[in-house]
This record gives sequence, structure tokens and C-alpha cells, in this order.
Amino acid sequence: MKQQKLKAVKKTFTTIIAFLICLGGFAQTIILGKVSEEKGEPLPGASIYLKGTYDGTTSNENGAFKFKTSKTGHLVLLVEFMGYVPLTRNVELKGDTIKVNAILKEAFNQLNAVTITAGTFEAGDKKRAVTISPLDMMTTAGAAGDVYGALQSLPGTTTNGESGRLFVKGGDSEESQTYIDGALVPVPYNSSAPNMSTRGRFNPFMFKGTMFSTGGYSAEYGQALSSVLLLNTNDMPEEDQLDLSFLMVGVEVAGTKKWSSGAITGTLGYNNLKPYMSLAPQNYHWIDEPESISGAISFRQMTSKTGMLKVYSSIDNGSFTVSQKNMDAGGQLADYKLGNDNTFVNASWNDKLGENWAISSATSFTSNKDNIYFDQTHVIKKVQGTYLKTNLSYPFSEKFILKFGGELFSKNYTQNARIDSEVHDNSFTNNNFAGFTEAQVYASSKFVTRIGGRIEYSDYLNSFRFAPRWSTAYKISDKSQLSLAYGWFFQNPVDDYLLYTDKIKPERADHYTFSFQSSANDRTLKAELYYKNYRDLVKLNGGAFYLPTSYNNTGSGYARGLDLFWRDKKSIKGGDYWISYSFVDTERDYRNFPHKAVPSFASKHNLAVVYKHWFPGIRSYPGINFKYSSPRVYNDPNSSVFNGEKMLAYKSLDVSWSFLYRPNIICYAAVNNVAGFKNEFGRTYSSTPDVSGNYPSAAIEPSSTRFFVVGVFITLTRKGSANQLDKIE
Amino acid sequence: MKKIVLSIAVVLFSLVSMAQKAEFYKAMGETLPQYGNCKSVSDFQALGNKFEQIANVEKSEWLPLYYHAQCYVIMSFKEQDATKKDSYLDVAEKSIKKLIEMAPTEAEVFVLQAFFYTGRLVVNPMERGQQYSGLSGQAIEKALALDASNPRAKLMKIQMDMGTAQFFGTDPKSFCPQAKDLLAKWDEFKPKSPLHPNWGKDQVAGIVANCEKQ
Repeated sequence: MKQQKLKAVKKTFTTIIAFLICLGGFAQTIILGKVSEEKGEPLPGASIYLKGTYDGTTSNENGAFKFKTSKTGHLVLLVEFMGYVPLTRNVELKGDTIKVNAILKEAFNQLNAVTITAGTFEAGDKKRAVTISPLDMMTTAGAAGDVYGALQSLPGTTTNGESGRLFVKGGDSEESQTYIDGALVPVPYNSSAPNMSTRGRFNPFMFKGTMFSTGGYSAEYGQALSSVLLLNTNDMPEEDQLDLSFLMVGVEVAGTKKWSSGAITGTLGYNNLKPYMSLAPQNYHWIDEPESISGAISFRQMTSKTGMLKVYSSIDNGSFTVSQKNMDAGGQLADYKLGNDNTFVNASWNDKLGENWAISSATSFTSNKDNIYFDQTHVIKKVQGTYLKTNLSYPFSEKFILKFGGELFSKNYTQNARIDSEVHDNSFTNNNFAGFTEAQVYASSKFVTRIGGRIEYSDYLNSFRFAPRWSTAYKISDKSQLSLAYGWFFQNPVDDYLLYTDKIKPERADHYTFSFQSSANDRTLKAELYYKNYRDLVKLNGGAFYLPTSYNNTGSGYARGLDLFWRDKKSIKGGDYWISYSFVDTERDYRNFPHKAVPSFASKHNLAVVYKHWFPGIRSYPGINFKYSSPRVYNDPNSSVFNGEKMLAYKSLDVSWSFLYRPNIICYAAVNNVAGFKNEFGRTYSSTPDVSGNYPSAAIEPSSTRFFVVGVFITLTRKGSANQLDKIE
Repeated sequence: MKKIVLSIAVVLFSLVSMAQKAEFYKAMGETLPQYGNCKSVSDFQALGNKFEQIANVEKSEWLPLYYHAQCYVIMSFKEQDATKKDSYLDVAEKSIKKLIEMAPTEAEVFVLQAFFYTGRLVVNPMERGQQYSGLSGQAIEKALALDASNPRAKLMKIQMDMGTAQFFGTDPKSFCPQAKDLLAKWDEFKPKSPLHPNWGKDQVAGIVANCEKQ
């Protein structure tokens, strides 16, 4: 037995030795050939090698390669090049010459594939050629650190100086919605007095990226007839730090503590416009200048290697008293006093479930209270909203991704009004349920289609709606692509109507968008044609506002136009500019309109020119911005023509200067409307005529002709090298 | 009997693996000196590919992967086109990720990571400066925490500090004594093997020469 085994061992041993010797044999095989892509273009720099060996080479500038190997037998030859599918070829090495012509196929990669650009302005993605980055939003003169202000230098928007809110492609400001990390923000703006401009509630420094869609957006988003703004908050901070902001209108302190898997940031702010308003001439008389105190906590926690939980919560209290002409009391001055309390909580969680499924959930809670006194009127408005959404996506393959999810938005609105001796106490609660699904299909890396739908149910309005969405994009060359988008969009009527009636239905807009985009070498051109068809808009039939029978859905309208955008970061060294132009032709018959007419928020021609230049020698980043909007219309009840009056054209020349004093200290100064152009936003009229049958009126002016701001931002870290470069407003 | 078989197997196995190791040292030893001949993007690409071919066989060795990533970072500095720069850095990034998993206590890996972040920064300093200067600084800190004597980590730090000083109009020469000291003591640091990273002396010498110029 033993002998036999030993023999067997000996035999194996010899075989192995023989095999080893063979391996070290001297027969040399030459492998040569050419690497090219499918169209025949040579691919230089490709790696060609025998699997499991060191033997290989790189293709030269003609795609040709040649190498020798002393290996023999059956091996696998691999040809690899970044962005292409690796090619494998079985070869038998017997000491002769092997010729290989390798034709590589381009790998499908969603990052390099065509993207749907109809209606969207995306920012924040590091690598993709973006049209507007977060830094731009901060350094754009005229924005004064307001997210919405910065967006008004993009095409598709119209600046309404008496509002400050977003007006998109012939849509009213209520038709735009804001989402933070996927959750709806029901009250995105600060409270302001009638006909006075407001700002966004959120500090733009919170966000790492934005997507501004001016039409044709995904089925994930509903309850918006005109646009959605998606803001994504920063991920994990890089280190512990203390940020101090001193502006002439207020101070802010933010402290960040980081640990290995999470971080927390606490922010305290105090604003008081009194010192500023006593320096800069104001067009209104302020009894109590705007003052606010706010606190926020934001929390980040990694829930796994791929998962992240983000929570943001803020409490804000603000107040002011301003003197306004009360046209219903003979134009005498009366105090408009407003107190606002706002609580907002936003949480989101993103992770992967197993290998393929991805989940993202978002929730928000809002409580907003406005307490308003004006002459003999006292109104308390309360909004409470709870929002919940969960989104699942599953890639059946790289080229077919299915997404679906559900959403709940519950809103309670209460209004207690005392007008002289009249009492109006009204409220409503609406629960909106929605489900959506969407498939993204790539026919190739040049052609993508996104098709989906959304169902919505409102329990208060007892209405059920289905909204199809479709968009597609085709790459016509390496640099250029065409996109088409179509969809139905529904939105519940404004709160002020729902207070009095549940007998009306959601309003509807159909979008048709056709866009062309070309970008190369830091230059981007975008042109977009669109048509929007509005239907089921709410109309008032002239009855008393508190009667449900005074409201119906017979309104309609349209908006059509052309948006152009050109950005060039290349032609001028250190310089960066963009030009944005929008033409919009719109009419609608809604609310109290007697017939179809141009609404007062729409300007036919809108132009924005933004220029920024980096001067390394003086470490400064000055910017200049010019905006023009053609005259808008307004209604004079003394005239027989509805909306027949024209305002002045809107013009503003804004400048800003950012200076990096030290890595952690930035000084900033800006002046809006430095040239002092006269802007006026129509007139406000009394609701009843005077004894001579005339409706008395007063001009609506901006709160000041010019606006200026000076500030210093300081960041303190252990290392002392971080800065707030991205804080340059 | 079983013991004999087992011991023969063990001897054979180690023989084979030693032969393999010898082959590895030989291949690395032949490839490393080619750095000296590399000038263009395609030179570095060919060299980087060679290292990758070695790395594909030697799954437990971090050095070939290190040199592969380094070649691709250098390519990004030599390339003019921004999109190509980023595509080379994408290749380097994948290898650096693997390297950090393979050799998480190796200071050299984090020096390379700092170098890689600088590459990302250079593509668009205006938009990426903030983020990547921070990341690069953190990688240098990490390298120094792992090995405070690593001369390449010190070199990266001096380069970064001088760059920042120049940008903010303070005197970059205040870092000259540090550079001189680093050059004087450069050879005190002995790489673990002839295959380990050993670059950087020329760069320090360049900095010191610049210091003494004016």
C-alpha cells in the first residue's frame, strides 16, 4: 500500500516539475494588432495583456500594438480601455505570431449618456457640464444671498419687484413649489406686507446642489403648474468649525461638531434692519423696522456605508410695522403690523436595500402663523402641513430603471379675520394622496425616454386626477442634444378660495417643451420653445367671496415662449458671463378677470446679463449684473379696458465685490440698482369709488431705490485653513 | 505518509510562490526605472497600464496599484482638456479606493490621495478650490498621523502652505527653512524596499533652489 502511494506521489511530483519547466520554456509568441472603436477610429492608450501574466503592452497613437510572450498554451487575451467594454479573446500560444484586431464597443455609462434637459437647470453635479453652479448663485450680483433672487437671472423667469417670488414661464408665483431633500416646503418665503418684496427663508449656504425645472418635470412632483425647485442640502461637513457672519442687517453664528459617522450644526441668527434703514433712504415709513430671531439645528448621520439620514429643523420669529396708504380709508396712512412664527422640520433618508434597490424617504412638518393688523382689520392666518414621501427605484438593467413611490400631504389652513365688526372664521383640512411611477429607458447612450404617470386624490375636493408625463432626449453629437417633454400638471386652487368652498376642482396645465442644448469647452448654449395650456382655472363669478357658489373652474389660458441662455467661461481669461433672454406671450381668464387678458405678473421680454471676473492679484471676485423686463400691465378700475395700463420697464444694474482677506476671512459688499433706475410696479386702487366716481390710487414703489449690503464672513477651525468661499453672496 | 504528501505540497507551493515573487520583483524592478523616460501623457499611460497589468496578477500587492494611480494623476496634470483630465482622475480614483482598503495604514497611500485631490482641484480651481483643498489637506494630515517622518507627506504640506501663502499675499519664503531642513534630512528616510515610493527629492531641491534665488 505504502509503496504504491509513494509511487503515485513521485509521479505527481515529476509531472509538476515537468510542467514548471515547460512554463519556463523559451518558445516566444508575438501578439500584434490594432485597437479601434466601432467606427474604425484607432484607440491609443488601450491596455492589451494576457490574463494572469505580466505580459502586455499599450496601443500607440495609431492604435497599433505588439508584444512578445514566452508563455505557451491556451490563455486569454484582454483588451481594455476606459469608457469601453473590455474585449476578451482566447489565444493559443505556440511560438508563432498572432494577429488581433480588437474593435471595442463604447460602454454604457449613465454619467456619460444623454440626459433629459428639457426645462431643467441643474447645478451641483461636479463633473457634468452644468449651466449654473451653487457658487454662481452666491456670486451673482443682485441676488443678495437669496436663492430665489439668483434664479431670477435664469431664462423662463420674470422679476416681479413687488413680490420677490418666482414667476415662471407665464405662471403665477403660487404655481411654483420648493422641495428640500425631496420634501415639500409649504411656506418657502418670508412673510411680507402687500406689494413689498420678500426673500426665501433658507440660507443658500445650506445647499450643495439645486435643480430648477421650469416645465415637463418628473412624475415624482405634483401640485405645481409651472415649476419645481429641488434643493439638496450639504452632506457631511469636513471638520469641526465655527462660522461667524456679520452683515449690516444682522449676525449669525453656526457651530459644527463632527464625529466619524455624523455631524451636528447649531445656528443662531439675529437680524434687525433698523441701523441699515436709518442709513439708506427708504420709500416707506417704518414704525418698527423688520427684526427677526432664528435658531436651527441640522443633523447628519450615516446609517450604513451607503445610507444617510439628514434632519433640519428651524424656529423663526419675525415682526415689523410699516406705514402704508389705506386706499379704502381715503388714502390715509395706516400701520401694517405683522408678526410671524415659523417652525419647520425636514428629514430625509437615502439608502440602498440590498444590491439593487434604492430607497429615499422624506418628510417635512411646517407650522406657520401670521398675525396681521392693518387699520381696523386683524387677521390671523395659520398653516400646518405634514408631508411624507417614499420613493423606490430598481434597475432591471443599466438601461432600464423603474421608479415608483407614494406621497401624502396633509394641510390645515385657518384664517380668523376681524374687519371692523365683521367676523370671518374659516378653515379647511385637505389630505392629498398621490402615487407615481416612472420608467427610464435608454435605447442607447444617445437616446433616452422617461415615461410615467401620477395619480392624485384630494379628500377635501373629492377629486381624483391622473397625470401622464413623458420626456425624451436624443444626442445629435458629442456636444449637442435635443429634448422633448410633455405632461399634464394639476394643482389644487389657492388656499384663499379653499377656505370658502370645496366645490371646485384642481387646476390644470399641459406642458409642451422642445429644447436644444449644446455645451463644449466651458461654453453652453440652450434654446427652448414651449407652450403651456391652462384649463380648469378658478374663476369668481362676482358673488360674495364667502359664498361657495361664487367660485367655479371655467377659467383657462395659455403661455408660449422662447428661452435663450448662453454661458461662456472660456473666452475671457478669469472672466465668466452669461446672457439669458426670455420671450413670453401669455393670456388667461381667471380669478376676477372679465375676459381673457395678459396677467399683470408677465413681462413679454426679459433679459439678464451677468458678468464675473476673478482677479488673483487682489484676491477679488467682482461681479456685475444687468436686468431688464419690458413693461408689465396693471388694471385701472377707472378705465374701461381691463389690465390696460402699463408699468415702467424694470431695470436694475447690480454690482458686488468679494474679497478674500485671509483663507478664513471673506469681505463682501454689494449694491443693487447702483444706477438708481426708477422702478414702479403699477398702482394700488381703492375697492370703492369716491364721491366723484373715481377710484383713488397710489403708486407701488420698491421699498428703496437702491439696496446695499456689507458683510464679513469668518470661519474658525482647528486647522485654520477652511474658508467660506462658497459663502460669497 | 500523509505528512510527506503535505510537506511536499507545502514545499512545492512555496517554491512556486517564491518563483512568482521573484518574477514580481523582476517585473517591478524593470518597470520602475521607466519613470525616467516618461514625458508625454501617452508615455505615462503606457507605464500606468504596465503597472495595472502587474496589479491584476498580484492581488495582494499594493505597490503596482499605487504606481498605476500615480501615473494617471500625472497624466491629468499633463493633459490640457478638462474632460480628459477628469476621466484620467476617474481611473486613478478607483485604484486609490482599492489602495485605501488594501493598505489603510500606509502613509504613502494618503500622500497619493492628497496628490489626486490636487489633480481634481486643478481642473477648475474656481469651483473646486474650496472642496478639494480641504480634502487634500485632510489626506496630508492623515498621512502625517500615520507616519510623521514621511518626507513626501511633508513635501506636500510645504507645497500647499506655500501655495496658500502666495495666494493670500503673505510671504511663502517663511516656509523655506522647513524645505531646507527637509532636503537636508531627506536621505534619512529609508523606504521599506527598493520598490517602495522614493520620489520627491528633486521637487524639494527645486523649492530650495527657488528660495535661494532672490
